[in-house]
Amino acid sequence: MNNGVLKTTAAGLSKMANGIAISANAVGTIVVLLLVLVVNYDVVARGIFNKPFLGAVEVVQFSMVLIVFLQLPDVVRVNRLTRSDGFLAVIGERRPRLARNMRRVINFISGTFMTLIAIAIWPEFTEMWESKDFFGIPGVFTAPWWPIKLVIFLSAALCVVIFALKVLTGRDRPEMIRAPEHEEATE
Amino acid sequence: MSPIEIGLTSVGAIVILVYLGVYIPIALGVVSFVSIWLMRDNFDLAMNLLKIAVGDSVMEYTFATVPLFTFMGLIVSKAGLGADIYEVMNSGFRKVKGGIGMATVGANAVFAAVTGSSIASASVFSKVSVPQMLSYGYNPRFAVGVVAGSSVLGMIIPPSAMLIIYSFVAEQSVGEMFQAGIVPGLMLAAAYVAWIWTMGKFAPSYIGGRPFDETEWMSWGEIAEKTLPITTLIVVVLGGIYTGWLTPVEAGATGSLLGLAIAVVRKKISLQGFWQALLETGHITAAILFLITAASIYSRMLGLAGVPNALGDFLESAQFSFFWIMFFYVVLMIFLGTLLDTASIILIVVPLFLPLIEPMGLSLVWFGIITVVGAEIGLLTPPLGISCFVIKATLDDHRISLKDVFIGAFPFAIVMLVVLILLIRFPSLSLAILN
Amino acid sequence: EKITAVVIDGYPAKALWVKEFSDFFIPEVDKRLAESGNYEMDWQESYGGAIVKPKGVLEGVKLGLGDIGIVTTIFHNSKLPSQALAAVTPFVSSDARAVAKAVDEIAKEFPTMQKEFGDENQVYLATGVVLDTYQPFLSKQITGLADLEGSKIAGAGMNLRYLEGIKDAAGVRGGLTDFYNMVQTGLTDGALLWPEAAKTFKIAEVAPYMLKADLGAVNSKTITVNKDYWEKLPDEVKGVLQDVAVLYRDHVAGIAMDRAGESQDAYVAAGGTIVEMSAEDRKAWADAMPNIAAEWAKSLDDAGEPGTEMLEAYMAKLKAAGFEPVRDWAAEAAMN
Ligand code: NA
Ligand code: NA
Repeated sequence: MNNGVLKTTAAGLSKMANGIAISANAVGTIVVLLLVLVVNYDVVARGIFNKPFLGAVEVVQFSMVLIVFLQLPDVVRVNRLTRSDGFLAVIGERRPRLARNMRRVINFISGTFMTLIAIAIWPEFTEMWESKDFFGIPGVFTAPWWPIKLVIFLSAALCVVIFALKVLTGRDRPEMIRAPEHEEATE
Repeated sequence: MSPIEIGLTSVGAIVILVYLGVYIPIALGVVSFVSIWLMRDNFDLAMNLLKIAVGDSVMEYTFATVPLFTFMGLIVSKAGLGADIYEVMNSGFRKVKGGIGMATVGANAVFAAVTGSSIASASVFSKVSVPQMLSYGYNPRFAVGVVAGSSVLGMIIPPSAMLIIYSFVAEQSVGEMFQAGIVPGLMLAAAYVAWIWTMGKFAPSYIGGRPFDETEWMSWGEIAEKTLPITTLIVVVLGGIYTGWLTPVEAGATGSLLGLAIAVVRKKISLQGFWQALLETGHITAAILFLITAASIYSRMLGLAGVPNALGDFLESAQFSFFWIMFFYVVLMIFLGTLLDTASIILIVVPLFLPLIEPMGLSLVWFGIITVVGAEIGLLTPPLGISCFVIKATLDDHRISLKDVFIGAFPFAIVMLVVLILLIRFPSLSLAILN
Repeated sequence: EKITAVVIDGYPAKALWVKEFSDFFIPEVDKRLAESGNYEMDWQESYGGAIVKPKGVLEGVKLGLGDIGIVTTIFHNSKLPSQALAAVTPFVSSDARAVAKAVDEIAKEFPTMQKEFGDENQVYLATGVVLDTYQPFLSKQITGLADLEGSKIAGAGMNLRYLEGIKDAAGVRGGLTDFYNMVQTGLTDGALLWPEAAKTFKIAEVAPYMLKADLGAVNSKTITVNKDYWEKLPDEVKGVLQDVAVLYRDHVAGIAMDRAGESQDAYVAAGGTIVEMSAEDRKAWADAMPNIAAEWAKSLDDAGEPGTEMLEAYMAKLKAAGFEPVRDWAAEAAMN
C-alpha cells in the first residue's frame, strides 16, 4: 500500500479516536461532579429532612464505573497509565530506535490485553441486556447491569484503537510526570 | 511446572516487565492471565477471571473516596489554602535557624489533612517555599529536600489514597486506617523538625540561610483569616469520620463541596480551573482504579496458585522471627520503591504478606501503616522518586538538578526509615487512637 | 480414586458457616466416603477473598474458579429472586432450623430455585440459615411500636422495607460494621440486627433497648456445586454430598440458635434491656407493612414461575411445624 495513504488514514483515524476519547473524558468529568452532588444530597436529606436517598450506594457504584471507564481511553491517550519508564528513557538517549521499537511492542501487548477484556465483557453485556439483570434491593433501589458492561466494553475497545495507533505511528511521548499537574496536555 | 512455581515465576516476570517500562497494570494483568492459563491449562478460566475482576473491582463503594479526596485536594490547592498555612507557620518559626524549613514541614502536616496525595503537596510547596528559602540564602539541596521529605506526609496523614488502597486489599475499614495514620504522620513531622533543629545546631552550613529581616508579627486577624478555612475543613472531614457522622465517602464529598465554596468565595477559581480540577480527578481515578483492577487479577492468580499459603508454610517451617520477617519486608519495599509507585508496591506486596501477618496475631491496621510508610520511602529515592520528579518539574530552575533534589531528600528518607522502625517496634503508636 | 474439590467463599475462615464447612461438612463427607473406600476427596479450601469476594462466590462457582461454593444469596436479588422467600415473610418464625428446613424443602419440591442456580451453571445442594431473627435495637427507652414512629433506623437489604409502614420512620442504609457508629452519633435512632451481631458489635453500649419484635429468621447461604464438575462426579460422591449438605443445613442452624440465646444473655449482661413487644403491636406492625410477600410472588408468577404456590407451601410448612404467622402473607397473595 502507498505509504502516504497509510499515513493520512492513520492520521484521520487517530484524530477521530482521540476526539471520541476526549468526549468520553468530558462526560466522565461531569460524572465526578455528579458524584459530589449526589453524596452531598444524601447527607443533607438524611441529616436535616429525615429522608435519606436510599439509592446513594448504587448511584455511587455506578458513577465509579462511569468515571473510570469513560476516562481510561483518555488516560491512555495522554500517556498517564501508570508506568516506570526510567529504563526506556536511558535507552532512548543512546539507542532511540531501540527504545521506540520497545514502546511499540509494549503498546502492542497493551492493546492485546485490552482486546481480551473487550472479548470477555461483550457476552456479559448481551446476557444482561437480555435478562435485564439489576443490582440493589427490589422495592428500595435498583439499577440495571447492562449499561455498566456496555461502558466497559466500549472503553476497552477504544483503548485498543488508541494503543493500535500508538503502535502504527510510534508516537508515545515519554513523560514521567507532567507539572504543573493541573495543566491539561494537548496534542 | 507446579502452580506454585508458575505463581512465583510470574511475580518475577512482573517485576522484570515493569523495569523494562511496560505499563504496570498491563504487566500485572497480562502475566496473571497467562499464569492462570498455564496453571490450569484452561484459556476460558483465565478469560473468566478477567471478566470477574474487571467488573467487580471498580464497583466498590469505598473507592468513591479516591475521586472525592483527589478533587478536594486539587480544589484546596487552587484556593491557596496550602500557601496560607505556610505563611502562618513561617511567621511562627522565623526566629529559628532553619525556620522556613520547619514551617514547610508544619504547613505540610496541616495541608496533608485536606489532601489525599503527596503530589499535590510537593507541587504546592515547591512553588511557595523553595523560592523563599533560596532568597534567604538556604542551601538549595536542603530547600528541595525538605519539600520532598515533607510531601510524604500527604499520604500518611489522612485522608490518603494509599491508606484507602491498603484498606481495600486487606479488607480493613477505611475509617480505622485513617485514624491510625494520624499519630505516625504527626510523629514523622516532629522527627523532621527535630532533624532540622539538630542540624541547625551542629551543622548549620547544611541548612544555610539567614534570619528574617522584618520584625512585624502577623496580626491575630490575619492569622485567623488564613487558618480558619483549612481548620473548618479539617474539623468537618476528619471530625466527621472520627465521630462516625460521615462515612469516608461522605466526608470526601462534603469536603469537596466545602473546598469549592471556599475557593469561590475567595475568587480563587475560574470556570476553567474548576473544569481542570474535575478532569484531573478523573484521570487520576481512572489510572489508580485500573491499576487496582489489574492487581486484583494478580492477587486472585496468587490465590489460585496457592502462593500465599505456600509462602506462609515456608516461613512457618523456617521459623523466622518477627524481626526477620519485618526486616525482609522493609528491604523488599525499599527495593521495589527504587522503581515502583506506592500504589503498585502495596498492590503487589500486600497480598503476599497478609497470610503471614494475620496468623501471627498482628494487627492488620498496624501492618497497613507500616506498609504505607515503608512504600512511601520510595518517593524520595532514585531512580524513580515521584515526589522528587514533581519538585524538579514544578521548580523548572536550571540551577537545581534532579540529582540535587535526590541528594537533598536523602537525609529525610533516612529519618523516615528511623520512624518506620519505631512504628514497627511500637505498634501502639499506630493503634492507640483506635482504642 | 482421588477427587479434588476447590471450595470457595469470600468470607474469612472464622465465619460460622465457613468454619462449620471445614469442621463439619468436610470431615463428614470424608468419613462417609471412607466407609466404602471407593473414593477420597482432596479438598482445597480458599476463603477470605483469596479467589473471590463475598459477592463473587456465585459467579466464581459459575465460572469454575471454585468447584463448591457457599453463596450468600442476599447479594443476588436479581439472579436469585426466589431466595428472598424468608426475607419477604417477616413475623412468621424465629427458629433458624425450621426456616432452613422449610426453604430447603421448597427448593427441592419446586423447580424454581434450582433453575435459578442452574442458569448460573451450578447445582443446588442445601440452604443455610445463620441468624435467628432481626430485632430493632434502639438508643432510647421504648415501650412499643409507637416509639418507632418518626425514627431513623439503620438496616441493610430487604429489611429496610419492614420499616415502610411505620409513620414517618425512615430506613437508613448501612453496613453491619457501620451500625455502632451510626447509632452512637445519633445519625440513626437504632438499627435492625440479630442478637449475635448485636453482641459482636457491642451494640448494647449505644443501643441499650432491644424491642423484641421477632421479625424472623432469614436464609442467606446456599451450598452449590459447579455444574460441569457435578456431572463428572461419580453417583456415590453426589449422594454423599447431597446428604451431608442437609446435615450441614441443620447443624449450622442449630449452632445459630444456640448462639442466639447466648447472645441475648450477653446483651443483657452488657447493660441492655429487652422490651417485649405486645401481640397487638406486632400485629399492627405486620399489617402496616406493604405485602412484600405478595409482591415477591407476583413478580415470580409474572416470570412464569410458581411464586404464589411456593409462598403458600412455605407458609403451610411453617404452620405445620407449629408456627403461627402474625400475618398470613399467603392468604393475601392468593387473592391477587
Ligand atoms: Na492526606
Ligand atoms: Na524511588
